[in-house]
Amino acid sequence: MAFDKMELRDIEVWDGNFAAAQALRQCQVDVVSAYPITPSTPIVEGYAKFKSDNYVEGEYVMVESEHAAMSGCIGAAAAGGRVATATSSQGLALMAETLYQASGMRLPIVLNIVNRALAAPLNVNGDHSDMYMVRDSGWIQFDAFCPQEAYDLNFIAFKVSEDHAVRTPAIVNQDGFMTSHTAQGVHTMDDDTAFSFVGEFKPMNDMLDFEHPVTHGVQTEEDWHFEHKARQHNDMMTIVPGKIDAAFEEFAKLTGRKYNQIEQYDMDDADVAVVCMGTSVETAREVAREMREKGIKAGVIGIRVFRPFPFMAIAEALKDVKAVAALDRSAPGGTPGALFNEIAGSLFNSDSKMLLSGYIYGLGGRDLTKKHLVDLYTELQANADAGKVLTQQQQFIGVRGPKLAYL
Amino acid sequence: MSEMKKIKNLKEFSTSADRFEGANLLCPGCAHSIIVREVLNATNDDLVLAASTGCLEVCTAVYPYTSWDASWIHIGFENGSTAVAGAEAMYKALKTKGRLKQPDRNPKFVAFGGDGASYDIGFQWISGCMERNHDMMYVVLDNEVYANTGGQRSSSTPIGSSATTTPAGSISYGETRNKKDMMGIMAAHNIPYAAQVAPNKWKDMVKKIQKGFATEGAVFINAVSPCTTEWKFDPKDTMHLTDLATDSLVFPLYEVIDGHELNITYRPKEKDIVPVEEYLAAQGRFRHLFKDQYKYLIKEWQERVDANWAYLNRREEARV
Amino acid sequence: MANTGWDEFEIGAMLRTFEGEAGNIAGTLQEDRKYTENSSFSASVADWRIEKPIFAKDYCIDCQFCWIYCPDISIISRDKKMIGIDMDHCKGCGICVEVCPTNPKSLLMFPELADEETEIAQWPAKEKKEK
Repeated sequence: MAFDKMELRDIEVWDGNFAAAQALRQCQVDVVSAYPITPSTPIVEGYAKFKSDNYVEGEYVMVESEHAAMSGCIGAAAAGGRVATATSSQGLALMAETLYQASGMRLPIVLNIVNRALAAPLNVNGDHSDMYMVRDSGWIQFDAFCPQEAYDLNFIAFKVSEDHAVRTPAIVNQDGFMTSHTAQGVHTMDDDTAFSFVGEFKPMNDMLDFEHPVTHGVQTEEDWHFEHKARQHNDMMTIVPGKIDAAFEEFAKLTGRKYNQIEQYDMDDADVAVVCMGTSVETAREVAREMREKGIKAGVIGIRVFRPFPFMAIAEALKDVKAVAALDRSAPGGTPGALFNEIAGSLFNSDSKMLLSGYIYGLGGRDLTKKHLVDLYTELQANADAGKVLTQQQQFIGVRGPKLAYL
Repeated sequence: MSEMKKIKNLKEFSTSADRFEGANLLCPGCAHSIIVREVLNATNDDLVLAASTGCLEVCTAVYPYTSWDASWIHIGFENGSTAVAGAEAMYKALKTKGRLKQPDRNPKFVAFGGDGASYDIGFQWISGCMERNHDMMYVVLDNEVYANTGGQRSSSTPIGSSATTTPAGSISYGETRNKKDMMGIMAAHNIPYAAQVAPNKWKDMVKKIQKGFATEGAVFINAVSPCTTEWKFDPKDTMHLTDLATDSLVFPLYEVIDGHELNITYRPKEKDIVPVEEYLAAQGRFRHLFKDQYKYLIKEWQERVDANWAYLNRREEARV
Repeated sequence: MANTGWDEFEIGAMLRTFEGEAGNIAGTLQEDRKYTENSSFSASVADWRIEKPIFAKDYCIDCQFCWIYCPDISIISRDKKMIGIDMDHCKGCGICVEVCPTNPKSLLMFPELADEETEIAQWPAKEKKEK
């Protein structure tokens, strides 16, 4: 039974969820094994509707939990085909065990995470706690700042993840509600062009090749485990970044939309810069431009690839910047934010005299306003002028009550 | 539909080419392996296998060795069922799309799990797989205890059994709860086929496994697997213990078709029925029950087994 | 494989059972298969044994009880005949002896170092059934 192709306008008005669902359709995913959770639900609902309307012909397995969703994805990926799912927050937390198993078994799977806060207290809105929770899980992590990127990055994620030299699962993050439920114009590819970018799935170590039986998911103890984990890390450090760059390049040739491991805005001559992820990047860009009108040389770096972390690219981009703010949208639970630590690490052994301060913001979907960013850039400029960090190194912004600052 | 393997008698069965290998790390005398062999040898079709974490898994895929001659996957403790369900979904997808490498094959999808992985931690996953009616077979290697981790109680551990987390002691007779009726629960999913099997009754077992393989949809198998280590008996006596389990009717052998049609498949003659006491006495885990203060539990055991047997007989007769 | 480095493995710790194409495995006996060094078939657990079974062919009726109840795929049956024991894979559990129905038994357990020929030469006589 053949499936139907869908006629798309060059620009469709899609929210991030529907953009991701359309990308899964166009990639002709073989198995989606999924469980609904706000705010990612419309991705799998969208896919289900495509299935019901004969726009996809793979299998769609609606399982009984997120853990089972990823378990099904792992079984399907090991069997040998294109696999995807979506989740958020608590769902990702329940799924977390299996993420390590998927990456350890080197299975290509694309997971859309629509970022949402982690309970308690229960919250359905966007922050990056879920993304951060699985940052050491061995998955490639892309971050989309808007619906267009949620669409585009899915194709890139399949391309990289399924590459036989990579064979590592990939996450595409997008902000809950701010991206997932906000409709914007999305430049589309027609079905054939879109599929041609990812191409036919090429199986490897597939369980369904009965001429070559394979054993997946072995036990290794102290005599073998370290070597396997080392290999996984090595490939992330040495193979994956180049494959990501190549996919970005190829995608740019196809669509004119060029992505980079870190996206730099107004960074050429920046004295002060904000490093952040998700929808905050767009807000920061707008404020940076306004700060420049006021004579402050402000720039923005958006982290496009969170894993493998673009350590050297960050070091290069920030080497001449005087003061930098790392914006972390996750409660760090007794330490600086993850971005603060990663950026500090990337600059520590360099000649940079960059002043770094960390900001915790936007938890549970709290708005990051332009006013917050104006104040933040002003603080950075003051730091730059003074040649030292005048505030404490970690501050909370946008929270009610007495000022929170530490370290 | 593939042709069913012909197995008239044991001699014919013994011409099977095993797809499970020795030098695995299961204990000497472990019944798991006997069950696995009877399942795998029941068909000549290709197999896609999974195991949940447990004795079978940790003993058959310890790097750099595998004891499996068919594709096999292990993910975690709870999700062997869903692993194979995912593979089955991929098989269907690739079949639809015409991308199977060997489209002429008729693979069977089988997941194995211990009672800990099945009655307890993987319960929801199995329920999901059964409810969705994947074309797969789930086999419980039911040794009534977390044997792999040293003998903790599971919800399959029967009353009066001394497990490490419910040890018998000066004021305790061990496990206080009755074994969970997993067969009843699984059959209640109205799956096409559920059966309880025992490796000593190989013909009954192979017949059921073949019936399961011929069934389109989800199949649940509960196999009694006497554990020499945790039931505490001599490794040479594994089959004797299995005989006691089936002939005392502690493990009655029956099948349930479509959730309602119950058939008892092994009915020992009245004179051959072994008193439950004999079954209990053969195992170290029940030794304390033979103290005066706990002897009433043996009587209760017998009454429970009799009642269950009567219940199964009534179910069989009633066809409901 | 004992000292292989991190760059010398298949990714994902994946193992293959056979060299090349497996063919019809369910129809291929062990001796005709091309196992890799990763199949546990290539390994041995002979050192687990304290006692070993010895097979006295003369008494065997080829009932195959030992074949089906052996947990370790160590009873070698070919063409419906029991032809011997795979001593690399036998763990010495003794199940085969227990399930052997002949009188005298065709399989008996002996200390690991016992000499097969000597033991077969002095095999026990048929037991009289007590009524």
